[in-house]
Amino acid sequence: MTQPAIRVDVLEKSFPPARSGWRALLQPFEKPTSIALAGISFEVREGEALGLLGANGAGKSTLLRILATLLLPTRGHAYVSGHETVHDSREVRRRLGYHAGSDHGFYARLTGRENLLFFGRLNQLSFTAANQRIAELGERFHLSNALDRQVRTLSSGTVQRLSLARALLHRPRVLLLDEPTRSLDAIAAAEFRRFLKSEILQRGETTLLFASHTLPELELLATRIAIIDAGRLLACDTPPSLKQRTRCSTLEDVFLRLTGHDPETSLQELDQ
Amino acid sequence: MIRVLSVLWLFFWRDLAIARTYRTAFLMEAIEALFGSAMFYYVSRFVDSPQLQHALPEGKTYFAFSLVGFVFLDYLNVAIDTFDRSLEEARDSGTLEHLLITQTSLPAFLVGSAIYPFLRTALRIAIYVGWGAAFFGFPLKGANWPSVLVVLLVTLLAFSGLGILSSSYVLLLKRGNPGKWLLLGISSVVSGMLFPVSILPHWLQVVARLNPITYALDAMRAALLNGSNLVELWRPLVVLLVFAVVLLPASSATFAWALRRTKATGTLMHR
Repeated sequence: MTQPAIRVDVLEKSFPPARSGWRALLQPFEKPTSIALAGISFEVREGEALGLLGANGAGKSTLLRILATLLLPTRGHAYVSGHETVHDSREVRRRLGYHAGSDHGFYARLTGRENLLFFGRLNQLSFTAANQRIAELGERFHLSNALDRQVRTLSSGTVQRLSLARALLHRPRVLLLDEPTRSLDAIAAAEFRRFLKSEILQRGETTLLFASHTLPELELLATRIAIIDAGRLLACDTPPSLKQRTRCSTLEDVFLRLTGHDPETSLQELDQ
Repeated sequence: MIRVLSVLWLFFWRDLAIARTYRTAFLMEAIEALFGSAMFYYVSRFVDSPQLQHALPEGKTYFAFSLVGFVFLDYLNVAIDTFDRSLEEARDSGTLEHLLITQTSLPAFLVGSAIYPFLRTALRIAIYVGWGAAFFGFPLKGANWPSVLVVLLVTLLAFSGLGILSSSYVLLLKRGNPGKWLLLGISSVVSGMLFPVSILPHWLQVVARLNPITYALDAMRAALLNGSNLVELWRPLVVLLVFAVVLLPASSATFAWALRRTKATGTLMHR
């Protein structure tokens, strides 16, 4: 049996309470009491695309950031290609690409190419390999004209594509996207989704775990959808199975029903 | 080793590439150095007194003494300041997370990010001293350049520990630099930056002797103005090396702990 690309095992995460004034000085040392993830478990197979759906504060970004080794879990474990995110974080990062929709994280005064070269080299690509990969991704992502311009002069959509190119430079086996179309207009978002579908998912080389509030985006890209509410995993299945199970015709109704926001039917009734 | 050097070079290349886009900044700094040098020259002409001459090393003018003090403190300032400034810039620009998910460690990022500021400051010192020598009679002939380089390097090692401690503080508490505030604030009085330690009251002289900046300044002045060799400089160099040996591992461990803490509390990107 092949190893899952991502395994999350009874993962819990709590944060210390937010403080202001002089109490903020003590915040790094306070006990974590605010629960963000409450024992989530699931697996993502190689080449699969799993979408995370949940309200703001449901725990989607926390989950992605733990997998990206940017956060430490309070309890439980997360694995990427069999490597544990806390104790084997370097191996995890070797296999991981991460792109957050609102956070470009580029050096504004360097060109797109210089930025990609810098991050590619930090990911242990040789100078030649990094340049080849930049040329290849530049063509695939329609970035050829943008590569030699300073990042501060590029549009949001172009910077998003540049950010995705950065996440893919070192050919990661797992790609984590946190609301990748959040800051894009409708046209750029549609183009970005088409691009993800045709250039990444259809090739089947990369496992995708992404969070989104855009339901058509989830239906278009995800093979399965995990619905998270208040740090708990309510369901994880294909969109047709979720609809069948909840007797709903749309993903929106599925989400509302499972999270208890549907006035007509409660989750308990469904279980009966 | 090659991998480490290549990563360090990469950060230097990044900073140089960014600096290249601010085309006139370096020229402005060079001109500013000329005015800074002139200011010390004219202040020294005003304040040169028999009492001061008595306190200065034999044959040295107050201009040479104060210029070395001023520019060298600038170098120490970079050693203490550059690590947390790099961290703050990376956090504010959003690049910190993307650096942390590469296969390069955060300590490599901190050290790499310090190379360009150090070299730039070393160059700025050279420009200050160069202007001083060209126009205001700064004595360069007797300098022992190998000793100057060793003093710069040992000082860098000794004070980088404080810089790394400061960046740990910034990681945890987001703003402020107590190391800089404490050390550079106190040192403006008790290190011999602008006047010899010997003119201070006795108890402040004792404080000055506990201050590593005093030793760094003594060593730099001795190498640059008196042409002292490494054997003659053994005492301040040993003090600085002890400081480095104690502080570098302690600050690295503190930084690793602070990073784990911010990853646990989720405050890595908080400002």
